[in-house]
Amino acid sequence: MKRAGLFFIVGIMTMCLAITASAAEKVTVYTSFETDETVKYLEAARRDMPDLEIDIIRLSTGELGARMMAEKNNPQADVVWGWAVTGMEEFIPHGMFEPYQPKGVDKLEKRFVHPKHLYVGIDMYIAAFCVNTKVLQEKGLPMPKGWNDLLDPRFKGLVTMPNPVASGTGFLQISSILQMYGAKEGKEDGWEFLKKLDKNIGQYIKSGSRPAKMTAAGEFAVGASFDFVVAELKKQGFPVEFVFPVEGAGYEVEANALLKGAKNPRAAKRFLDWAISESAMKEYAQFKYGVTLPGIPTRPDLPKLSTIKLYPMDFAWQAKNSEAIKKKWETLFSK
Amino acid sequence: MNPIEPSGKRFSTWFSADNLFTGVIMAFLLVILAVFLLYPVVDICRLSFFKDGAFSLHNYLDYFSEPRIFRSFYNSMFVSTVTMVITTVLAFLFAYGLTRTTMPGKGFFYTVSTLPLIAPTIIQALALILLFGRNGVITRYLLDTSWNIYGATGIIVGEILYCFPNALFILYTTLSAVDTRLDEAAQSLGASALKTFFKVTLPSAKYGIASAAALTFNLTITDFGIPVVIGGDYSVLATEIVNKVFGLQRFDLGATISVILLVPSITAFAINYYLTRKSYAMISGQARPFIQPSRPLKKWAFTAYSALICACILLVFITVFLGSFVKTWPYDFSLTLKHFDFPSLGASVPLWTAFWNSVLEPGTFRTMIAIKYAPIWTSLLVSLVVAVVGASITLVAAYIIEKKKPRGEQLLYALSVLPAAIPGVVLGLGYVLAFNKPYFLIYGTIWIIIINVVIANFTLGVLSGTANLKQIDKSVEEAAVSLGAGPVTTFTRIVFPLSKVAFLSTTTFYFMRAMTTISAVLFLVSAQIKLAAIEIIFLDVDGRTASANAMCTVVVLIVALFLIVMRITTGSSGFTGMSASK
Repeated sequence: MKRAGLFFIVGIMTMCLAITASAAEKVTVYTSFETDETVKYLEAARRDMPDLEIDIIRLSTGELGARMMAEKNNPQADVVWGWAVTGMEEFIPHGMFEPYQPKGVDKLEKRFVHPKHLYVGIDMYIAAFCVNTKVLQEKGLPMPKGWNDLLDPRFKGLVTMPNPVASGTGFLQISSILQMYGAKEGKEDGWEFLKKLDKNIGQYIKSGSRPAKMTAAGEFAVGASFDFVVAELKKQGFPVEFVFPVEGAGYEVEANALLKGAKNPRAAKRFLDWAISESAMKEYAQFKYGVTLPGIPTRPDLPKLSTIKLYPMDFAWQAKNSEAIKKKWETLFSK
Repeated sequence: MNPIEPSGKRFSTWFSADNLFTGVIMAFLLVILAVFLLYPVVDICRLSFFKDGAFSLHNYLDYFSEPRIFRSFYNSMFVSTVTMVITTVLAFLFAYGLTRTTMPGKGFFYTVSTLPLIAPTIIQALALILLFGRNGVITRYLLDTSWNIYGATGIIVGEILYCFPNALFILYTTLSAVDTRLDEAAQSLGASALKTFFKVTLPSAKYGIASAAALTFNLTITDFGIPVVIGGDYSVLATEIVNKVFGLQRFDLGATISVILLVPSITAFAINYYLTRKSYAMISGQARPFIQPSRPLKKWAFTAYSALICACILLVFITVFLGSFVKTWPYDFSLTLKHFDFPSLGASVPLWTAFWNSVLEPGTFRTMIAIKYAPIWTSLLVSLVVAVVGASITLVAAYIIEKKKPRGEQLLYALSVLPAAIPGVVLGLGYVLAFNKPYFLIYGTIWIIIINVVIANFTLGVLSGTANLKQIDKSVEEAAVSLGAGPVTTFTRIVFPLSKVAFLSTTTFYFMRAMTTISAVLFLVSAQIKLAAIEIIFLDVDGRTASANAMCTVVVLIVALFLIVMRITTGSSGFTGMSASK
């Protein structure tokens, strides 16, 4: 009995040691893709590179940024995959990335590739409202067409949006509103608008997709979220509709980069090569509005890109002011 | 076998083998606690008080000058105070029913009331949302009201459910130890039942009551799991720390709020600790377990009350179990197992993943078991190691403190009880600040998590160890020594077997904490090392409520299974005298 106990303990300890050490070629990846899509992409990655062991963590855009910054002097990851270009631009001055030219990068659309190859853009996504038509009907509310309609006092408590400090979607939403109201020229009108909007917000959520999911579940009438989540929910049979704000929908480009100080540079480069391959791009296109490799059809259940008024986002300006915007938002709206 | 010279040879100098043994162990324990407890906490204080290398109160001014941010302090104090008052009253009445009345079903009531200890705190919040959320069965479908429980109400109700067993243990011990003959004497002198209660029963339990209240306050103000899920936009100190660090990369502000949180948390702990000692000093040696048959009204009132409380606790568990098996709560109640195919990324854990990859055919089922279930496997492994290591090291520490009493024993004791006063979030943040450096090779591995959980729960292990060792007569050890046994032999052959019950209950406690803790390890999980309890949070944040419930169910089942196995193999219930120290 005693000996059995001892064996048991030694066995467990050995297993723990084994967890720490492993033989296969490994890469550690950080991503801000939605979990659903990441699961699909990973399936493809593991199919295409069966001998590569991929360790991955998924966090919201803001949280992932905080993590990378915290680990700057002792990087725990090799690759950042599918992370907002705004964040990339913000982190470049901190010397976070190593230039790398993945195989096949010349096939991509030039304007989404960093001139010094510090990052490579792969796809874009667009801000969209998820509107629960059933809740609208029950409460007798009109279909909102854009941000301004959400100021209607009848929507009080029935609107939810992401917390821009944590969520990349939330950040691109408020960033587009601020730019619309002349924040680049130093005007404060955007913040005044957000203050009015705040009166109707039932809850700020630390995820870009969850506002849509909660709205689909009937918890709110309108959830400010982004494109494909709404399409997915619609496909699942929830009574929801897309609305792309008429004032101009904000969008974001997602990109990949090699982290400086990566412990597995060889495997990391292999992964980055795969991440812009046609095989990977086809997977992204199952979800995204557009990918940067020309000629790949995107999902058919999204409204045509030409029908949407995109707001011309200034990524460089956003990156420069990101910290100040987030801090101001925290001060004004976090409870 | 024994590398140390037996002290039977009687070195009469201070340089005896026994002293050497004690000294080495003592030094080892002090180093461990200094590195893994003091250093991280000191690092947090340093970061909060220094800016660009110079002492500055800048961070504090920042915090206190922004009213919307300062609100989290007020919020924390508010929910903790309300929870404290309500929980103490509820638990006192329950304990009174258990100890002073002859109501039926006491064993059942007691067991049910301890259930919240086997689950992550988050379970309370998950259940409350399913029942009283914006889409809750009760709020939306039974009452058809737009009222919902998000915010302060949700946090308070959740914390009451979670803190209840912790407060109950203290009050139960207090009430069953105080001499009931005082009550009888008062009544036979003509005092009314109410007067006896207020003039005799309550005052005699006052220290226990205050200690339970302080513990509840401490547990509530340091908890992260419940407010993060049900708090909505209502921020408290613990969630604010995580926001500042995770969302804003502001380690300095996180550290500042940590120090602010330390003040009420340490105060509450110190009060609790001081009063527990007082309360035990009042325990009369002549206490009698005999209870006079209660009047029917009193008996049935307490039975109904206890049944109601237990129903609430059971409802939490049933709701979350059900929530993990039904298709779409609350629209479609048909049963499904699909939520157990967690929509999460999982991890590749070498042994587990390799094993299932070699046994199963490639496909979604293999991915589910080999990758998505890996965090559960890691949690189980971590918990088993934590249980064995934690129980052993705290028993050794207790032995040194209680039996050896070397110079500096006070210091070791103080460091040993300190962890219960440090909130998990704070200790976890301290670990990131202190150990995220290239030369700390354990950072980012499973070991830092194991060490963190062992240290974070050190207090209870040491306290239960010393309490147990007090009961072992010193002459037994002296006999062993005079028969030629060295210190190691004495410990393994005499002390350890006699402390077995305490050891096993500490093992159980450590296992439960390691499986269910969220706050302490939140900052320490990585791409390689993921834990089941943290996955619950991630699933919930991702809007995967049903799968969060499913993961919670898995954790509860594993802990329950462990308790059953412990009970069968050792014959003792892990719950005897068990209480979460934080």
